[in-house]
Amino acid sequence: MLAALLLPSLLAAGSEPPADAVKLNEPRVQYRNNEASATRSPWIDANGWRILRSPGKKFVYQVKGEAAALAAAEAFTYGADALLSADAPGAQTFGKMLEFLKGVPPAELAPVADFGVVDDGSDATGELLNLLTRMNLLYKIEKNPDPTFHVNVRLGTKEYPQEDAQNPSVAAHKIRSQIGDDNRSLRIYGTEVVVGRLMTGLRQARVFLLNYSNRPVLGMRVRIRGGYSKGELRDSGIPESRLADVTQDGPATEFTVPELRVFAVIDLH
Amino acid sequence: MFLQLATAPALLASDAPPSYKVVSHFPAAKSSETPGPYRGKVARVTSETVIDTATERIDQAAVDKMLSAGIKGLTGAKADKEAWSSFFSPSDVIGIKVNCSGAPVIRASPEVVSGIVRNLLSVGVKPENIYIYERFLDQLTSVHYERFVPAGVQIVAVETPRASLLGYDPKTYVEVSFFGEDDTRSNLARLVTERFTKIINVPNAKEHQASGVTGCLKNLAYGDFSNVARSHMREKTNTLSFIGTLAAVEPLRSKCVLNIMDGIRAIWHGGPFSEDKKYRFYPKLMMFGTDPVAMDRLLLDLIEEKRKAEGAPSLWDRSPNIIDRRAHLDFHKNTFIREPGHIEYAAKNFGLGEYEKSKIKVTSVEI
Repeated sequence: MLAALLLPSLLAAGSEPPADAVKLNEPRVQYRNNEASATRSPWIDANGWRILRSPGKKFVYQVKGEAAALAAAEAFTYGADALLSADAPGAQTFGKMLEFLKGVPPAELAPVADFGVVDDGSDATGELLNLLTRMNLLYKIEKNPDPTFHVNVRLGTKEYPQEDAQNPSVAAHKIRSQIGDDNRSLRIYGTEVVVGRLMTGLRQARVFLLNYSNRPVLGMRVRIRGGYSKGELRDSGIPESRLADVTQDGPATEFTVPELRVFAVIDLH
Repeated sequence: MFLQLATAPALLASDAPPSYKVVSHFPAAKSSETPGPYRGKVARVTSETVIDTATERIDQAAVDKMLSAGIKGLTGAKADKEAWSSFFSPSDVIGIKVNCSGAPVIRASPEVVSGIVRNLLSVGVKPENIYIYERFLDQLTSVHYERFVPAGVQIVAVETPRASLLGYDPKTYVEVSFFGEDDTRSNLARLVTERFTKIINVPNAKEHQASGVTGCLKNLAYGDFSNVARSHMREKTNTLSFIGTLAAVEPLRSKCVLNIMDGIRAIWHGGPFSEDKKYRFYPKLMMFGTDPVAMDRLLLDLIEEKRKAEGAPSLWDRSPNIIDRRAHLDFHKNTFIREPGHIEYAAKNFGLGEYEKSKIKVTSVEI
């Protein structure tokens, strides 16, 4: 499915959300060093999976300060129509982000997925989608298994038993292993707090990078499957930023983002 | 671009080693490079007066004598300048890889580093072409090397701020998954790939809760690559195979031409960060060699003998009942199953040096 990637409706305040609007978390990272968990990675409150799970719905964010900018970028990345309620500093950062988003040229692009997930609407599947998003494993939400994918996940089947749902981390790692890291369309190295989304079109790829922490990420490396000779980086916080160390590695293209503050869009041709 | 697949069979552990992919565009080592011209040879120098164990003050004059005796003992040269010139020329850009992971308590002593710098200057190396380097800035700056070396000598940290990848070479790395971590790469420092022509490795003599000991190989490997702490989780550590794999990556392997181990003070338990003085001891020793395996083999004996004397379990003890997260409080315990076999692994799988004790030639000098 190809769809024009346009700026979705983003309203700072003043409108009432529809009754069936999906409430989203404030996007951020939580470092839970003192809590036992299945992973040592920081916990990211990312909403991409919620947005992808509810196509056509309206979404609502209630955010403060810098999180307003990230919320706007997140809604843009996943094409969500979102209502955003923010405090005064949040309205300011939101405004700046909106200006940046308006400068991203429209393009005919479709999201890239390496596997499918059959969504039964359960909390368990939701939690799995959440983890897959945070691990930058690119999935397509399906009603039925898509035969074009080598891997289709449906919790409760013999291959993905309900016990896996008790620990989504195990299921996510199983899926990752089935795909194989070398076959993943998007890899991010050097950070655990950035979530990426990849879309492609005719001779073009677009990478969206969302930094959920409140600190810049320095020198992250991105690997995209496919050969691209030119890359253009648009960073919401650093207008003059350029990609560094662009290389072709077999079937993949790699580049370094010198500094990612909140949000960046990279166009590859 | 060279892809070196290092998937050697397990020699010393029951678990199969992880599958490593080594990516480097630098050519493989020639046979004359590491372990260098003095394979299996270690010059061992001790001095009773080098440290006052009550104050831990180090005597610079004694250090200088140890450096002189050590470098001449290793090379067979009659004079210091002749010895140092056999390794370094005025056009070299030299990295001195210090170890500051236990700083400020235990680190490459600034007196040793300043002595090395003075000898480099004496053979014509420019001060601005001498780099004292470590991965982390906070550890490095806590030592204050700048007070001991001439102006112009560079003191730099690779990873500034922590977690930044900007100081690492994106094209030279080891890729491996240990525990399902998403970031599976460890990249080599850009200083090594882009700036230095040669490296002097200056480790300490320390017990290490994961690798058994931390000497030449560990200082080189974990001290020059990013994202290495991921090799440990719960009681399991992958130091057995990871250390040798990293230390053998080009150009790190070929550029490290000399190892000088600072064993003036040492740690026999709770390493590498031990701050508890009761685990410190004073071998008053320095070792010199081009062969990191041979030197680390001697270090193993040094730490093992001290632990035995103190009544601590052997470095080779793999019993589950000694595993305890609070091992720094009790020398009968340990955080990980130690992997002192990493030294033999590096020798057998990567040819990084001589492990067999009977083939190691030690020249000993007492000042």
